[in-house]
Amino acid sequence: MTAESLSALGLSIRVAVLATALNAAVGIPLAYVLARRRFRGRALIDLLVTLPLVLPPTVTGYYLIVLLGRRGWLGAPLYAATGWSIVFTWYAAVVAATVMALPLLVRTARAAIESVDRDLEKAAFTLGRSEWRTALEVTLPLARNGILAGLVLAFARALGEFGATLMLAGNIPGRTTTVPLAIYTAVQTGEGGMALALVVVLTMLSCAVLVAAARLGARAA
Amino acid sequence: MSDRLEIRAVKRLPGFTLDVEWSAGDGVAVLFGPSGAGKTLTLQCLAGLLRPDAGRIAVDGRVLFEGGRIDVPPQSRRVGYVFQGYALFPHLSVAENVGFGLRDRPRAERETRTAAVLDRLGLAALAARLPAELSGGQRQRVALGRALAPDPALLLLDEPLSALDAPLRRALRDELRGILREWRTAAVVVTHDFTEAYRLADRIVVYDAGRVVQAAPRSELLWQPASESVARIMGIRNVLRGTVVKATPDRIQLRWRGQLLEAVNSPTRSYLPPPDSPIAFFVRPEYVRLIRKDRGPADPSHHMNVMLGTVVADEDFGTTWSLRIRLDAPGAPAQGDYDVEVEVPHLVYEILEIDRDRRWEFSIHRGSIHVLPA
Repeated sequence: MTAESLSALGLSIRVAVLATALNAAVGIPLAYVLARRRFRGRALIDLLVTLPLVLPPTVTGYYLIVLLGRRGWLGAPLYAATGWSIVFTWYAAVVAATVMALPLLVRTARAAIESVDRDLEKAAFTLGRSEWRTALEVTLPLARNGILAGLVLAFARALGEFGATLMLAGNIPGRTTTVPLAIYTAVQTGEGGMALALVVVLTMLSCAVLVAAARLGARAA
Repeated sequence: MSDRLEIRAVKRLPGFTLDVEWSAGDGVAVLFGPSGAGKTLTLQCLAGLLRPDAGRIAVDGRVLFEGGRIDVPPQSRRVGYVFQGYALFPHLSVAENVGFGLRDRPRAERETRTAAVLDRLGLAALAARLPAELSGGQRQRVALGRALAPDPALLLLDEPLSALDAPLRRALRDELRGILREWRTAAVVVTHDFTEAYRLADRIVVYDAGRVVQAAPRSELLWQPASESVARIMGIRNVLRGTVVKATPDRIQLRWRGQLLEAVNSPTRSYLPPPDSPIAFFVRPEYVRLIRKDRGPADPSHHMNVMLGTVVADEDFGTTWSLRIRLDAPGAPAQGDYDVEVEVPHLVYEILEIDRDRRWEFSIHRGSIHVLPA
């Protein structure tokens, strides 16, 4: 393998791992709140989280530029204050992958949390546990397999992210070129051998992830 | 006996309104009534899992809920709850389930208390098992132990036997009764099975459509249901309607299906309906006496309220036979195609050869005709 493709592979794994970690930090609490709480704006949050699942990734990427770009709603104040913008950095690849993977985790984890018998939570309340402790000691442990399956799916999605990443992070070799982008570039420039090698590696990784998810799903059932 | 538990609760839900008030002393109070009568909602109000729109709940003088002013959260109510289906934590061992409510105690005390509860309920050998590895009866005991371990002021049990098979149910009903008596915790049990209610209760509160229709010590309820509707909810058979002929504090004469019947009036209630008013009464099927034909004519000093009829149907209940008898009187029978249900032991059915001989005279003692106040 060339240094270029190795760098793409390294970046892809780093981006996918970080995006999965961010998904866990944001997605699990979000899934819990959507499953167990009734509040104003719940339907809106549900819609926003799920949207990247059905929108073309380039459209999601466009919205991310609107939000985080140098002249974006969040990006502009950040640029004014620090002179730094996330666009065209590898952090942007992490953000794009996170947003694209989030609906997969939230939907899977939410279904798992909703399937936990509410009487178990009520029992924990009558035995002195706060809602917070109950979530940590009862609800989340019982939804564990569903949550893990969701994380595996999120990891796979983050690993293969292309469109939104291209929009927000660009395709800068050695800096923001992940494996899917490297494959595209290789095919465009006629480097068939490199494209094939990366395709095989990505396929094997994805297969391993799917097998892991299937095992978790079987244990959850 | 002072009341340990007082509840008044109003809760409006779509299509259903709970509006109840009752109290209970030491021992076991059973909430009895048909499904959907509001029994479980009441338990949830007591536990703090459901907030009433109005009312007041107090246990041992401690106010847990009052109007919009006091609403102690379930975590601080000291109320143990045994859920229908038990709701054991499936990922925790028997010992961890039982010790779950003791988390705020020092570790040593927690372990001692858990061990003591397991021991007392005969679960010590199962401490390391998961709930999935237990039988129905063992699960029930774990659920009881988990609720009792933090020493609650009040124990709530929602249909504690409904998850079990019929043979086990009976054994565990008596086991549960023993445990409740032994631990002396004030308890509220929900059931829709009258036998279960009667076996477990000191006091029975009868629910119907979100309201309390009667609250009484169990024996009083059994023999003096407050009304015809209570009698029907209790599943009492032979609830009949007649007309008053004459009522005195000791006796009530009534007319039913062309017969003149005499019943004992309850002196404690001194129920004196005017002549010609409608009156409901019931006769327990096992208290109807068939008159043997081989002993000569019926002796009026032994037999009163004598009637003649035909067995139109009979059913074998294993240890007893249920006979449906239609009187010779003209007019429509009182209960569809028969007038009175009579229950006889198997032996009597065989000796009298009831399967062949269908014409019978029978009598009902005046003390076995129970008049129901309107």
